[in-house]
Amino acid sequence: MSTLLDVRDLTVRFAMPRKGLFGPRPWLEAVRKVSFSLEKGHALGIVGESGSGKTTTAMAAIRLTEAAGGQVLFEGDDLLSLSDEQMRAHRRDVQLIFQDPYSSLNPRARVADIVREPLDLMDIGTPDDRRARVEELFKLVGLRPDQLNLFPHQFSGGQRQRISIARALTTNPKLLVCDEPVSALDVAIQAQILNLLAKLKSELGLSYLFISHDLGVVRHVCDDVAVMYLGQIVEHASRTALFESPQHPYTQALLSAAPSLARRKSKGYVRPLKISGDPPSPINPPPGCAFAERCPRARDICRKTPPVLEDRGPGRVACHVPGPADA
Amino acid sequence: MSALLAIEDLRVTFNTRYGQVTALDGVSLHVNAGETLGVVGESGCGKSITALATMGLIPMPPGRIAGGSIRLEGEELVGAAPARMRGLRGADIAMIFQEPMTSLNPVFTVGAQIAEAIMLHQKVSPDQAFKDAIALLDRVGIPSPDARARDYPHQLSGGMRQRVMIAMAVSCRPKVLIADEPTTALDVTVQAQIFDLLNEIQRDFGAAIILITHDMGAISEMADRVAVMYAGRVIEEAQADDVLDFPQHPYARGLIDCIPALGREDHALREIPGVVPPLHLLGAGCAFADRCEHTNARCKTEKPLLAAHGHHPAACHAVEEGRI
Ligand SMILES: Nc1ncnc2c1ncn2[C@@H]1O[C@H](COP(=O)(O)OP(=O)(O)OP(=O)(O)O)[C@@H](O)[C@H]1O
Ligand SMILES: Nc1ncnc2c1ncn2[C@@H]1O[C@H](COP(=O)(O)OP(=O)(O)OP(=O)(O)O)[C@@H](O)[C@H]1O
Ligand SMILES: [Mg+2]
Ligand SMILES: [Mg+2]
Repeated sequence: MSTLLDVRDLTVRFAMPRKGLFGPRPWLEAVRKVSFSLEKGHALGIVGESGSGKTTTAMAAIRLTEAAGGQVLFEGDDLLSLSDEQMRAHRRDVQLIFQDPYSSLNPRARVADIVREPLDLMDIGTPDDRRARVEELFKLVGLRPDQLNLFPHQFSGGQRQRISIARALTTNPKLLVCDEPVSALDVAIQAQILNLLAKLKSELGLSYLFISHDLGVVRHVCDDVAVMYLGQIVEHASRTALFESPQHPYTQALLSAAPSLARRKSKGYVRPLKISGDPPSPINPPPGCAFAERCPRARDICRKTPPVLEDRGPGRVACHVPGPADA
Repeated sequence: MSALLAIEDLRVTFNTRYGQVTALDGVSLHVNAGETLGVVGESGCGKSITALATMGLIPMPPGRIAGGSIRLEGEELVGAAPARMRGLRGADIAMIFQEPMTSLNPVFTVGAQIAEAIMLHQKVSPDQAFKDAIALLDRVGIPSPDARARDYPHQLSGGMRQRVMIAMAVSCRPKVLIADEPTTALDVTVQAQIFDLLNEIQRDFGAAIILITHDMGAISEMADRVAVMYAGRVIEEAQADDVLDFPQHPYARGLIDCIPALGREDHALREIPGVVPPLHLLGAGCAFADRCEHTNARCKTEKPLLAAHGHHPAACHAVEEGRI
């Protein structure tokens, strides 16, 4: 097995407005020294609460958001140190699909043109090749040829997401970044899109960076999962390890919070693990572990010293007191 | 025993540019004191309209209650005088909405807004109302409630705003609390806090809760009984365990099998093909017929009624005929 993407110490900062005329410019560290790798043909899920830095991490990893530091090795080349010209050659290898299929499609363009656009922009193939490719992709994602000349508003939400997926596939990418690809869809339609993404992964050998706040969705699609909290990965493990024996108290809290068909009110279900409050502000992160103030296991050291993401058993965990939930 | 809130054969129509459409087509639901009824279904199936009708908040026009009844402790709410509905709303029936920001006033502090809600229905002094508001903020788990009461809505996180909404909704100890997707805009850990809070409030006040959601996981954790809606009708209704373990209607089965749920082993997700038909295209037959693998000629011409043919009530010819 070979590594497609190797992200090392990726850091992203956003400048915030100055407080007063001469005050120092505050920085928001949205991504703080994040490292992970993605194998070819694998899907890595990134989960975490709103604002934890999932989107920023993925965008910086494919150089659509500027990184303040770190390396992103894509098949060995560091994307962050390539010239714009060299980067262009890699653009076709990496594509994106977003949460909102409504706003990401140009309402005035026919969908065939929308799907063909990346080929036009990157000047790939003859016009006939391009047309044939679009028709082939339409079939692949489950749309009909007679729908090629319609406009986006003539499609349902799920169909629009199929169109975005077709467009993302036109250049034969190796990596697909999926940012909450089914969050805006009804559950019945979600299943259609998730099955399609699973089929594409196995048939085309695609790799996914798959962002979702829905742990059920991530469990269904992803081989490995990274859990983010306040700009850092706090736990990273294989799907089985992460869902069956989570080591970080935050991962445990997330799993305990996610609604599950296995928990029944009729059986007197009461959530065992409760965490209170909201994540701290990313502008002034606490000195120790970012989760300490909400953590049922926090000790003195947790409030003073930030834990380091270290190998532990089958995965990596950043916690001073890692271990199973009831320990 | 008659239910605390009983909706019977409720029909709501809207005038639209496609002509008159039927958003609720004979909806019957009930909820008892201390019970949580989960209402689940895809977008547009009529969950919010059912809630708004109960609150007397259907915009008329374009909406109209074309038939049926809504009874709270026997009192008919359909056609009740607006003044009577204002008296009930917030006092006996309260509702929390998906996006708290739209129902909070940005220019007043949250404490003042809760106090106002209290004074609307109870004869207390402004000072006492503000003190009660702080006690409520404390009750819904807002840290330093004294200080937070003086905050404006935009100064609070999404989860805190939803707690404020809940504080306001329970300020008069309503008999029925309707929560319309109260956590969709929130993170899962905050959603869990809100769900736990709703359960505590139910234990304290004995309120009946109607929880509207599209999440079967939420139903499983929260609901005693479930009504599954599709295209303006209730197509299945039973105890939560019955619906979750023995769904009857093909749509209910699909809804459960298509979720990549935690706590269930890997399996291919079942797809429900197609989409919900728009209201103006609903024909004479079952609204689910075009998406259903059990459709026969009768399904295309005759609407199935909710009846106990199988394990529990479902509105499906295939279940009635024993074909599934
Ligand atoms: N362009 C920007 N300028 C300033 N701050 C930003 C910008 N983009 C993101 N942030 C901040 O960076 C942090 C991480 O944001 P990001 O969008 O990556 O989170 P996320 O995990 O994708 O959240 P969500 O689940 O809400 O999409 C947040 O605090 C956010 O407010
Ligand atoms: N003011 C209106 N005019 C016309 N039709 C309306 C109006 N309000 C609602 N409807 C229609 O009534 C139907 C039921 O809407 P409702 O808001 O109850 O759906 P819902 O089940 O709550 O969906 P969601 O999960 O998206 O909130 C929809 O088809 C909607 O288009
Ligand atoms: Mg995001
Ligand atoms: Mg609604």
